[in-house]
Amino acid sequence: MKKFKFSNTTRVNDLRKMIGEPFLLLAILVVLYLLIVFVIFPIFQVFKTSLSYEGALSLQNYFDVLSRSYYITPLINSMVLGVIVGTIGTIVGFMFAYAITRTPMKGKGVFRMIATFPMVSPPFVVALACILLFGRSGFFAGAIGNIYGLTGLVIVEVIAYSPTAFLALVGVLHAIDPALEEAAMDCGASRLKIFRTIIFPLATPGLVSAWLLVFIQSLADFGNPMILSGDFAVLSVQAYLQITGMFDLARGSTLAILLLIPTVVAFYLQKYLLSKKSYVTVTGKPTSATIKNLEWYIKAPVYAVCMFFAAVVLLFYGMVVWGSFQKLWGVDSTLTLRNYVQMWKMGKGYIVDSLVISVIVTPITGVLSMFIAYLTTRKQFPGRNFIEFSSMLTFAVPGTVVGIGYILAFNTPSILMPFTLTGTGFIIMILLVFRNLPVGIRNGVAAIQQIDPSIEEASIDLGADSSLTFRKITLPMITPAFFSGLANCFVRSMTAISAIIFVVSGKWNLITVAVLGFVDNSQYAQAAAMSLLLIAIVLIALGLIKLFTDRMGRGMNSSSILE
Amino acid sequence: MKQNYLELKKLAKSFGKGDETFFAVDHIDLGVKEGDLVTLLGPSGCGKTTTLRMIAGFHTPTSGDVLIDGYSVNNIPPNKRPTAMVFQNYALFPHMTVFENIAYGLRIRKESPEDVRKKVSDIMNLIGLENLEDRQPRQLSGGQQQRVSLARAMVMEPKVLLFDEPLSNLDAKLRVSTRLEIRKLQQRVGITSVYVTHDQEEAMTLSDQVVVMNKGMIEQIGSPSEVYSHPANRFVAGFIGKANFLESVVVKVTDEQIIVSHQGKHIAAPRWDKQLKVNDKVVVVARPESIIPELPSEDLVEGIVADSVYFGSQMLYEVELPDGKVLQIEVADPQYHVQFERGHRVGLSFKDRSLHLLPSEEKKDAL
Ligand SMILES: Nc1ncnc2c1ncn2[C@@H]1O[C@H](COP(=O)(O)OP(=O)(O)O)[C@@H](O)[C@H]1O
Ligand SMILES: [Mg+2]
Repeated sequence: MKKFKFSNTTRVNDLRKMIGEPFLLLAILVVLYLLIVFVIFPIFQVFKTSLSYEGALSLQNYFDVLSRSYYITPLINSMVLGVIVGTIGTIVGFMFAYAITRTPMKGKGVFRMIATFPMVSPPFVVALACILLFGRSGFFAGAIGNIYGLTGLVIVEVIAYSPTAFLALVGVLHAIDPALEEAAMDCGASRLKIFRTIIFPLATPGLVSAWLLVFIQSLADFGNPMILSGDFAVLSVQAYLQITGMFDLARGSTLAILLLIPTVVAFYLQKYLLSKKSYVTVTGKPTSATIKNLEWYIKAPVYAVCMFFAAVVLLFYGMVVWGSFQKLWGVDSTLTLRNYVQMWKMGKGYIVDSLVISVIVTPITGVLSMFIAYLTTRKQFPGRNFIEFSSMLTFAVPGTVVGIGYILAFNTPSILMPFTLTGTGFIIMILLVFRNLPVGIRNGVAAIQQIDPSIEEASIDLGADSSLTFRKITLPMITPAFFSGLANCFVRSMTAISAIIFVVSGKWNLITVAVLGFVDNSQYAQAAAMSLLLIAIVLIALGLIKLFTDRMGRGMNSSSILE
Repeated sequence: MKQNYLELKKLAKSFGKGDETFFAVDHIDLGVKEGDLVTLLGPSGCGKTTTLRMIAGFHTPTSGDVLIDGYSVNNIPPNKRPTAMVFQNYALFPHMTVFENIAYGLRIRKESPEDVRKKVSDIMNLIGLENLEDRQPRQLSGGQQQRVSLARAMVMEPKVLLFDEPLSNLDAKLRVSTRLEIRKLQQRVGITSVYVTHDQEEAMTLSDQVVVMNKGMIEQIGSPSEVYSHPANRFVAGFIGKANFLESVVVKVTDEQIIVSHQGKHIAAPRWDKQLKVNDKVVVVARPESIIPELPSEDLVEGIVADSVYFGSQMLYEVELPDGKVLQIEVADPQYHVQFERGHRVGLSFKDRSLHLLPSEEKKDAL
């Protein structure tokens, strides 16, 4: 850490000497402006709207909402759903992570891929599969009762979000030195005892943080409840309906804030847990894992859960594939390509829009996030903390809130933004850039922090000035992170729905919105075909980026794309 | 008499603001002759790295000057300074091959490709890196990485070569052999060097001059044998090698010798310090190897063996004096000497020519 300080003072001195200083200053100011306008301002607008009643500042909207069961129910429902999904999702994720890191299970690679697959597909595809399977004319119609409601949502969100818990927990379990287990075994502890006394306590902060992550995702989920919630009203969908159905901005905003508060609290709780370094990281370098024979009572449940979950994921996605080739779902099961043709005819515009927008958004997000990552880790300047905070904020804020904020902020010109953005393609692009920024920044910060400052100093010592050093040394070293950021951003842009649905328009529309439209019209087969096309595009893009980075000789594994 | 090639004048660097300001380097003066290797030696945190980084230009001095070859380089940014640094963790560019790493600075200097090729291959041969051109840094052993880092600095033919604890990441054996190689190379090329280390053995074997630092200040500058046999103060004596301190009073001064009294027993020491007079309080600095335990006798300082460890070529004793002070004693070739065991009473005879006297610090306080 001392080193870090060194380099900062060095660079401050550098900066003074650099002629390029005004440029840097300008760049910082531009970033500040962008973050204020496109991150802070919309959220502020939501707060403001929720707090104004008949033109005055008041809590009336909140009293209104909280005094009517019609509005309280969604709040309670969202929480109940979040808690259930968080709990089941964490358990499933943990089992998977345990199987991958701690057992001699065969085919780990395949399991890993299956477990993380829901992350590259648009969230609502699982809901669609659920309808195809268990819906009124589904394969197993009625097998689990009415799927439109809590049951369906729990199933769907567990499938969609336990991968998040899985990825978080793989890291946690990986960091627990197997030597600890061996030591405990030497002391005579049984596997079960080791699990209870060593692994579980060490993994607890990780488990809690995984739980919070899944809880947040469930609260913020829009696509699945939009399709499946039925009478089980949840906040994100209700807020959307208030705004687009009832044109009641105040009430929509109030619901959005009610959604925002628990999410942000959970997010910062989670960050706090992670920052409070547990002992896991203190135990030093993990030695190479030596997996001894496990007792059956450990293996059996773990393997069973993994197999079952993997089978369910395969079944769900398989059903989407199967469904996309059916003449008429549940009635005529002749195989046909007609759905694809129809989907293409009706949805070509959406597909092109989605591609164009994502292709534009991805490099902008990539560069901006790297720049912000560089600024916040390697430069000292006033406003640095603000940039750090606000650029990560969209991570915590549910898409619904952001979407409502964008409507409120950019429907009319203001001092901050003199143009009306609503209805244009720009607003979609801007929203995607700022929603995807945090992931890129996190990648970038991690990559930059791994570069020892003395490497850059060595370059300066050998005669390069700081801009040459940035180009020849820093940039090449963060390139892999840059590309994995691009991959990430592209996937997220193509599959985004919750915030986007507020800002799409007749002129600019997106593929995800089109899928929801098909589902709304009960055109499940077309929805399935379009979802598959979307997944295919995403996979092809991921493949291309991976091919490209591998060519550059710097390996980037698929898990780093997904993380 | 060679000129000072590198000179530090009243060089200071403070960190922190307001009440928390402290001088990491506290107005030091130092001259290094052309072709010499000077080590900055001192405990961790004493300001060695900060000094080195001011020479390299990574830190701007709070006050004072750095002069190279007679010119102040204060206003020259690090990338333009005629210095090159070998970093503690090597700081090799991970995305470049060994060749590209070494060629990096030359290419920035826009030397012709033929020159670059020639210089790089010359230095690689000199340093013993033949056939490693196309390796990536991560494919090299620690020792090889260290050499690449050295080659990358030396190929620039800097006026001053800087080392910041370059051997601390190597294992003990490699450390010893590498430091000998560095010394040979440095002498052969005749490059003026400043070498930072906290390892006194490393400093002794490498340097022309050792600069002993403590708390941002220089305690002593001298050749390895000077700082060992004539430490300027207790800190230097204690930091370089092991030392026993005996509070005494001067009883007699002759042309060659000073006789001091410790607990009523006389000890003779060479007269290095011309200032000392009878009745001055002094501290006798006695290295463990300068004390010989013998059978007790009337005029020897007496003690009781508290511990003894046999090493074959050496015998280590801890001897407790009547006032409770414990002396460390090393006897070479123990077979030749009388051997003592725990609990034995011994008389201590001092090798007079190896002793060194320091003015007592008590006296300083009194003044
Ligand atoms: N950038 C800095 N900011 C604040 N204090 C520093 C900085 N760099 C070094 N120091 C302090 O200055 C003192 C000397 O540091 P350093 O020169 O690194 O010591 P050495 O290399 O001798 O171990 C230490 O107390 C250290 O904590
Ligand atoms: Mg140091």
